[in-house]
Amino acid sequence: MSQDLDTSPPPEPPTNRPLPPGDRLGTFLARPYVKHIAAIWVVCTLIWVPIAYWLAGNMGAGPAASKLMGALKETVFVFTLVSAPLMGFVLAVILYSWLGWGRVSGDEVPDLKNPAIKGNPIAVTIWTIVVSFLAFFLVTWGIVEYTVVNNYAAGSDNPEKLQPLEVHVTGQQWLWSFSYPEQGGISSETLFLPHNRPVVFKATSKDVIHNFWIVPMGVKIDVNPGAVTLAGVTPDTLGSFPIRCAELCGMHHAFMQTQAVVLDKADWNSWLASMGVTS
Amino acid sequence: MTTTATETAAMPVYPKNFLRSLRRQNVFTAFAGGIVGFLVMRVAASLFFRGEFWHGDSNRIITVAFIGWGVGFMAGIGAFNGVFRWFAGKDLDHAEAEYMAGKDLGVKRYFRYTTDHKVVGIQYLVVTMVILAIGGTLAMLIRTQLGISMELFNPNTYNSFVGTHGVAMVVGMILVVTGPIGNFIVPMMVGARDMAFPRLNALSLWLVVAALIPLVMSLFMGGIRDGWTVYQPLAIQAPPGAVGYIFFIVIFSISTAVSSVNLLVTIVRMRARGMTWSRTPIFVYSVAASVGLALPFFPFYMYSQLLALSDRTLSTSFFIPERGGSVWLYEHIFWILGHPEVYVIILPGIGACLEIMVVFLRKPLFSFRTAVVGIAGIVALAGLVWAHHMFMTGWAPLAGYPFMISTEMISIPLSLIVLVMIGTMWRGKVWTRLPMMIIYAVVFNKIIGGLTGIFLSDVPADMHFHGSMFVTAHFHYMLMGTGLFGAMAAIVFWFPKMTGRMFDERLGSIGFWTAFVGFQITFMAMFAAGNLGMPRRVFQSSELFLLSNQISTVGAYMIGVGMLIFLAALISSWKSGVIASSNPWGSQTLEWQTPTPVPLENFPVLPVVTSDPYQYGVPDPYQVERDLETQKEPVA
Repeated sequence: MSQDLDTSPPPEPPTNRPLPPGDRLGTFLARPYVKHIAAIWVVCTLIWVPIAYWLAGNMGAGPAASKLMGALKETVFVFTLVSAPLMGFVLAVILYSWLGWGRVSGDEVPDLKNPAIKGNPIAVTIWTIVVSFLAFFLVTWGIVEYTVVNNYAAGSDNPEKLQPLEVHVTGQQWLWSFSYPEQGGISSETLFLPHNRPVVFKATSKDVIHNFWIVPMGVKIDVNPGAVTLAGVTPDTLGSFPIRCAELCGMHHAFMQTQAVVLDKADWNSWLASMGVTS
Repeated sequence: MTTTATETAAMPVYPKNFLRSLRRQNVFTAFAGGIVGFLVMRVAASLFFRGEFWHGDSNRIITVAFIGWGVGFMAGIGAFNGVFRWFAGKDLDHAEAEYMAGKDLGVKRYFRYTTDHKVVGIQYLVVTMVILAIGGTLAMLIRTQLGISMELFNPNTYNSFVGTHGVAMVVGMILVVTGPIGNFIVPMMVGARDMAFPRLNALSLWLVVAALIPLVMSLFMGGIRDGWTVYQPLAIQAPPGAVGYIFFIVIFSISTAVSSVNLLVTIVRMRARGMTWSRTPIFVYSVAASVGLALPFFPFYMYSQLLALSDRTLSTSFFIPERGGSVWLYEHIFWILGHPEVYVIILPGIGACLEIMVVFLRKPLFSFRTAVVGIAGIVALAGLVWAHHMFMTGWAPLAGYPFMISTEMISIPLSLIVLVMIGTMWRGKVWTRLPMMIIYAVVFNKIIGGLTGIFLSDVPADMHFHGSMFVTAHFHYMLMGTGLFGAMAAIVFWFPKMTGRMFDERLGSIGFWTAFVGFQITFMAMFAAGNLGMPRRVFQSSELFLLSNQISTVGAYMIGVGMLIFLAALISSWKSGVIASSNPWGSQTLEWQTPTPVPLENFPVLPVVTSDPYQYGVPDPYQVERDLETQKEPVA
């Protein structure tokens, strides 16, 4: 039995005092499989770093078009990295169990002489604390970030503290229409938005549930018949961004798409003028 | 299943009058009865509502006709015999009850209303395979359409494929462990002679069969075009075929309630002498937890569909906004079931994995209590998280906070179960048989499903992922990667006991690993598509997502091929596999301690349990060393 044990410190004279906890940890860490698993663990954890970059970088197929979307990307990035060690550990153990501790095949029931480990209060306690701490972190991050995102949606991130622009979003099978009550109620099937000015969307539907999703801005809200739902964003990138319907709404759900075009001040004014609005 | 001449000769002589009618009833008379009931009620409804002999489909006519189908089918199979006899004051006598239990041991008992739990288990296995095959075929059609950029189907047809695929798979997954394994193995595992209510057991099975036909019929009557969630008011627009879905769900919910009560009573009341709660196998706990969740929550599913049916046929407006209804009401009622249902699906799969890995590692469960606490924690939290499906519905933005907290709390009990899994693997040589290999795959998928679940439980991250293909990939990792693969491990493991033959592991491994690799390709690419911003349930996608969709489709074909190989292995081993001994895995649970094929009442003598079924392994040298150091008695 002694060849199974590879305690590096020399045996001490017998005593009826328990080993000090530090020594127990030392003997545990000195076991070869612990070293191996630790090494695999590090690798399995590091795998998640590029994945986290890839996930956050490609959310919405490109760079964030608003600070709100930036916050969403940050959340995904942080969550992946924070849970990576735990996932890496589980991955390392199943890999080592598969390949490392030995294997037997064949039809006969083998006598593997595996150690009958029944419970280990220390392991269960440490695991529970780590997982609870992780869950606590995720919850806290979620609460804080959700508040931040709500503030962004309310227009807190615009540099000049402008009044939000109100846009009424109407979904119907299978097209979007947008009207601008402050601009004399002009309406359009492409969403035009001014740069760096907060926008409040008041969304409703004429028939069934749709979901209004400006992908790279992180705006997503159900568009319900018989109710008005609110969303908001401050677009901070010029350009044209896809709007998709993200709730199954019937036959042509897949084609219920349009564009959100963010215009700078001059273009915005000339668009308004082309729609017959004098500012 | 071998009927020897002596057994046949020893068969009791049945009284002629009633038995003759009992003997005539089987699955064929059931279908005949169902068709007659359907046609009669169809004509009656046409005459009553329209004054015509045969009017075209309308909601009311189809509803009545489906009720005719259900009643006719159940009467044809003989489900009402006992009830009528009981009303008449003469319940079945002993010989009749034995006939119903399948005392004659013939092949015919698999095609009729048999109360023996082993027969019901096999019937469930076949029915589940049929349901999964329907869902799988539709999945192939869906992936084919998404992988090419031309229009293969009409968009409405495509949408009904998506809806039917969803509901068939959800129901198939609910049944796949609890049905075959739960009915066949659990009574034996607790040391009982049968389920607590054998007739209810047969009833629950035949209700599923009765409900399945309208679901398939609905595909040809306009289909379920609204996803498996059939959100209102979109569902109101669907043609009358959608009544098939409603009918299916209502009947299936009744079947679930019947089956849940039956399993719960069996587990709580019928455990063998000496089987205290700490000696009850963990798989039994997980099945109890699963049906314990199904019992209170499935009625919500039924309510949601009954209210929708009422909107369709009785001019009410629970969910019709222009007449004062609420779309959020439907979403709430639906998701109060919809999330616990996920745990109904994965708990038995996880429990089976825990039960199986012990046998192949020849080690005790790392911590039985921790596993029980994990299962109990999931059950406790399952009913408190439903609104995370509604973060983006605008229902109540501030409700995002509490539901985010409760949802993320579920990761704690779930991780305790993972701890028990890796703790059981810890320092163990492994006997590399197929069920154990599948368990590694299950744990891997569970990690991926768990991580992506963390994103979706968080409101800010969900603002991007909600309603996208990312969600689809996530729940496939949980339901298919964990639930279905876990079920495959369970089927391979218990196959020798259920059929008397060994599973062909060589062919089965080829099938499983093909499906596993295909699964990773399909759903990793789907994560990518969803992350880029591809919505769910779309008919065609833009250029941006075409590549990842093509990769997904190739992977899906691999899954299809793998599953077919696995199915071929299952069928060929069932027909001509190596004859199994009574306990080929050397397991300690009770179902392996009885002969194979299992005698009619399972145990010649009812067993008495003196320890938990995890007495494997040798004393841990490190533990012995530590105990010597601390001058304790070494644990044996």
